[in-house]
Amino acid sequence: MKPDGKLKLVSELLDLPLLDSEGKYCGIVDDVELVGGAGKDLELKALLVGPGAYAGRLPRWAMWVVEKVAGKRITRVPIDRIRSISGSVQLDRPGDELGLHRSEKAAGKWIPRRGAL
Amino acid sequence: MNPLELTLGIMTAVGGFVDISELVFAAKAGSAFGYALIWVFAFSTIGIIVFSEMSGRVAAVAKQPVFNLMRHRLGLKLGLVTLAASIISNLITCAAEIGGVALVLNYLTGWPYLLMAVAMTALLIASIWVLPFKWIERAYGLLGLFMITFAVALVAIHPPWGQLAGGFIPQIPHGLSTKELLTFGYFMVAIVSAVMFPYEVYFYSSGGIEEEWGPKDIMTNRMTAILGMGLGSLLAIAILSNSAQLFSGINVDPEIPGSAALEAAIPFGKWGLVLALLGMFFAIAGAAVETCMANAYSIAQFFGWMWGRHKKPWEAPRFTMTWIVLFLAALGIVLTGVDVMMLVEFAVLFSILVLPLTYLPLLLLSGDKDYMREYVNGPVAKGLGWLYFAIITAAALAALPLFFLTSGGNG
Repeated sequence: MKPDGKLKLVSELLDLPLLDSEGKYCGIVDDVELVGGAGKDLELKALLVGPGAYAGRLPRWAMWVVEKVAGKRITRVPIDRIRSISGSVQLDRPGDELGLHRSEKAAGKWIPRRGAL
Repeated sequence: MNPLELTLGIMTAVGGFVDISELVFAAKAGSAFGYALIWVFAFSTIGIIVFSEMSGRVAAVAKQPVFNLMRHRLGLKLGLVTLAASIISNLITCAAEIGGVALVLNYLTGWPYLLMAVAMTALLIASIWVLPFKWIERAYGLLGLFMITFAVALVAIHPPWGQLAGGFIPQIPHGLSTKELLTFGYFMVAIVSAVMFPYEVYFYSSGGIEEEWGPKDIMTNRMTAILGMGLGSLLAIAILSNSAQLFSGINVDPEIPGSAALEAAIPFGKWGLVLALLGMFFAIAGAAVETCMANAYSIAQFFGWMWGRHKKPWEAPRFTMTWIVLFLAALGIVLTGVDVMMLVEFAVLFSILVLPLTYLPLLLLSGDKDYMREYVNGPVAKGLGWLYFAIITAAALAALPLFFLTSGGNG
């Protein structure tokens, strides 16, 4: 692998939409979790999803606003749950199993299930 | 190709070209400068066709709507700035549309304007709740065709066709004072902004995904963009030309949408007026739906929520909550009693500032062979795309100074 290979992968992953095995949108790759250290390979371990994952990417004042509006929840998606990467990141499990549809489900309680064609 | 497949383009174009802002700007442009601004409409129409076709092609091939691309290409920070600016722009525009449609209902029934705004918002929310996407676009797209009344009215008043055709040649009228030149410049920028409103592209590309377009639909996309936007442009040019013929010589300044309706009343009497008002009602209501949905699409796509009205409202709950809240917020703006025409001015101004940030990621992605494969931009799309990007960037830079120097085009 070229020395810039992994970093390029990270930059291409960031901000891509996530689709679960049922084709449902379940968030955006808001950040990634890397492990490694001095003299060791840098390894991608997980995708981080949720407003809490903006922390390293926004100025402190903006993060304060995000936390007030959306909270600081983070869901961790292990890298081995990725089936493929193209214009979106396809996962190999339903979002529910990975804890990715919690906010959607919470909002769903407020929506009446009738009247739509 | 089934002609009903064109309704996405027709709704996008009718909602984009003959919405409240276009009705006002086209009529005012014709009254103030005769036929001299027709070429700006024609020129901007090519721009919106180029970008709509691009966004539809990206939706069909890469299966990506505009706001997904925006965030991936611009990054989180600049993406958030664009999202915030477009939410404000679309919300103001949606409020202007609700105010506009309430005004039309007020003209038709004589019932109080604010009551009409509340009733109309409830009706719009109900229509999106009940109807799936395909029926939303068909209902508003086809009923908006009542606006053809304005084109028929133009034929009926026998305009000087030679002069009208001359308006398609790029020009700046001779003998204008500095103040009038600045106002002409402001109208040019405002028309570019109003024709190329970003919400049209957000709605169109999301609509392509709602309709599950794939590479086989590339030709449908191309025809929909060209015919839909072409029709919208024709209607806007008809409104401008009617205004040039009927109002220009007698110093009438068509400040309110009702003045535009008179363009059909003069040749056809009461029934012309009723048909024109019905056309305006459906076109502006369609634009309200389009702006609100475009806003909800943008937010849902930016944060990766489930979205779309091809799903039942409870299958995409955050998206559903978002468009309902946005409609109520737009109604809230109208209920403050703010002047609809002032909202129109602000909507146009805000939109032009967002335009470059909307179209840059689209240009980059539609030119990326990794995503687009053999459907990548050809030399024509690439050349026109970058030309129009340069023009809208220049227009965005000129917009604020011209707005203040001309008091929003009022001289």
